[in-house]
Amino acid sequence: MPKCTINGKEIEVKDGTTIMEAMYQHGMRIAHYCYHPSLSIAGVCRLCMVEIEGNPRVQIACNTTVTEGMKINNTSQKVKDAVKWTLDFHLINHPLDCPVCDQAGECGLQDQYMEFGKYDPEMAEKKQKKHKVVDLGPTVVLDSERCILCSRCVRFTKEVSKTNELGIFNRGDRSEIGTYDGQPLNNKYSLNTVDICPVGALTSKDFRFRQRVWYLKEGETLCNGCSTGCSIKTYFNKEGFFRVKPVQNDKVNGYWMCDEGRDLYKFVNREARMLKGQKRSASGWEMMVPGAVAKDAAQVVKTAGQGLALVLTGQYTSEEYDAIINSFKNELKTTKIFHWNNNKETADQFDGLLIRGDKNPNTKGLIQAMQKHGVQTEWNQLIEGLKNGSITTVVVAGPENLMGYADYMEKVKLLSTAKNLIWMQSTKHQILDSLMGQVWLVPMKSYVEKEGTFVNYAGLEQKFKKVTTVVSEALTLTEAASVLSGQQIMVKPDTNVLIEANRSQDKVMMEHKKKNEFIFRRGPL
Amino acid sequence: MSIVQRNSEVNKWYLPGIIGGLFITGKHLLTNLLNRKKMPTLNYPEEKHEYSPRFKGNHVLTVKKDGSLRCTACMLCATNCPAQCITIVAAEHDDPNVEKYPINYEIDMLRCIFCGFCEEACPVDAIRMGPEWQTPGLSGSTFSYDIQRLAYRPQLKGGIQTYVDDEERHKAGI
Repeated sequence: MPKCTINGKEIEVKDGTTIMEAMYQHGMRIAHYCYHPSLSIAGVCRLCMVEIEGNPRVQIACNTTVTEGMKINNTSQKVKDAVKWTLDFHLINHPLDCPVCDQAGECGLQDQYMEFGKYDPEMAEKKQKKHKVVDLGPTVVLDSERCILCSRCVRFTKEVSKTNELGIFNRGDRSEIGTYDGQPLNNKYSLNTVDICPVGALTSKDFRFRQRVWYLKEGETLCNGCSTGCSIKTYFNKEGFFRVKPVQNDKVNGYWMCDEGRDLYKFVNREARMLKGQKRSASGWEMMVPGAVAKDAAQVVKTAGQGLALVLTGQYTSEEYDAIINSFKNELKTTKIFHWNNNKETADQFDGLLIRGDKNPNTKGLIQAMQKHGVQTEWNQLIEGLKNGSITTVVVAGPENLMGYADYMEKVKLLSTAKNLIWMQSTKHQILDSLMGQVWLVPMKSYVEKEGTFVNYAGLEQKFKKVTTVVSEALTLTEAASVLSGQQIMVKPDTNVLIEANRSQDKVMMEHKKKNEFIFRRGPL
Repeated sequence: MSIVQRNSEVNKWYLPGIIGGLFITGKHLLTNLLNRKKMPTLNYPEEKHEYSPRFKGNHVLTVKKDGSLRCTACMLCATNCPAQCITIVAAEHDDPNVEKYPINYEIDMLRCIFCGFCEEACPVDAIRMGPEWQTPGLSGSTFSYDIQRLAYRPQLKGGIQTYVDDEERHKAGI
């Protein structure tokens, strides 16, 4: 356990800790581009210079291990000069296209330049022209001119995704990131390269030019794409949700997430949502407020008696399961509660990094809730019950993310054979509008609009908070459970649609230095 | 504010005040009749006041040599706008040298406070405040200016060319 002094503060670190790690562990700031905590150390950006006492020249912090009695300083004028000049060298060939660059606003170069920049370049030569708008693969676009060759993306494809698509080609100031002939950047984790790119060299095709980042607000939640349960950050503004990025969570996903999960904002937006409740009777469809539909359906549920069944999918929170199973079992006196297991065969698949075959975030939570309430049923019992007419009324808590539901159409057809069908779901689907018979469609809240717990594949309980409200009138399963069981509840429609509900910790902070001089600070890159 | 009450007997007299007032009116009438060029009133629809060239009137979107919009849809004007009257929708251009361009650029003139911040924020001289200021309209919708109106309205005679040229910038090595 060597002891060292960093910026006059005496600290003790584990053996083999680098100066960079030691500084981060003790909440000190240091400029860097190529260092990433879960990638190997390259030491190419030369920005993390520190002064070590007894050493005539400044050293890089990311690749120097702490030794006993080391005296390190990164606030001296010598270090500041070193960083200033390194930054100027980085910017020799960097184009001035911040206005059209998607990274502007969350760019490492911009951030560091505000703090260490020289503001007066002395480069007389022309800038090196490289390739622009290079199509690297189905998800990523490369702009070689903006690249500062930190090699984070190359190391990512080499060490994390292990697909080795990217490499640095040519020499000197002509070096460029690129792919080998006929091998596009096409893996299931390719968009992580966009996240770790400290500049705007790699941009996501999906997000490209859709919004400037400073218009977006962010909220942390959990990914509901599969049973891994990665921590994610969603970005939204008044116009809807625009992108999803991973959040560091060492227990589950580290720093990464898969490309599939990045599409998860799409079914949350209003275009994809069921906005109004609908009731279908002999006279046809009738539009209603969600609460009113649920109330209307409650009368049918009340009279159904033993013909009542509940079908649950693994896409709701544990608290909601608890509430709905409780009210069905104790108040509506039915134990016909079934688990719609959409991918039984593929549930145990795992690709070795993050993606799992079970495309529900909370299958474990549902099983736990059913066990807790002593419900033991088989899917076949439901099919038989529907056939012989002993089940007349089916309440379904449908999936919100239909990506993993290949059997969706088939199951809707099966369940619509019941006399009364109460279908609760957040996303709209055309098959629901073409249903015949007595149907109630109740719009539900999606995963970004509620708080709760997801239990992932390993049984890890993860709590998440509400991000914002998209469809203010939609119900949560807890509310729907109380309404269906005949209770009178007050559901206040949230008028703050698409306004931040919880702020994440590493938000950009604006620090006031002198009069009219501000510095933007934010968490590690 | 203090109110001075002059309750002296002289102030209660009627005629001196009236005659004094009429004298001033008559003086102005005579001076205006004698040198009409100095008269400050304009016969408005026929005569118009000329403002300085720095006057901040209706916006103009400048164009390049080939007539396409100079705007790169960087949204700095919209970000800087204190009245939040600018709406831009960006899209990807086929030409990799252009990259980004606006497919929709709208200014809500009724919201605009003509502060000129958009002009100042623009990095490529794509938006300017022009000399026009008379913009009558019959309904609110006529005050929402789109690209067609901002860049190619008939008064501009095919668009105002920007002085920031991409080719020259590339040649200069920027």
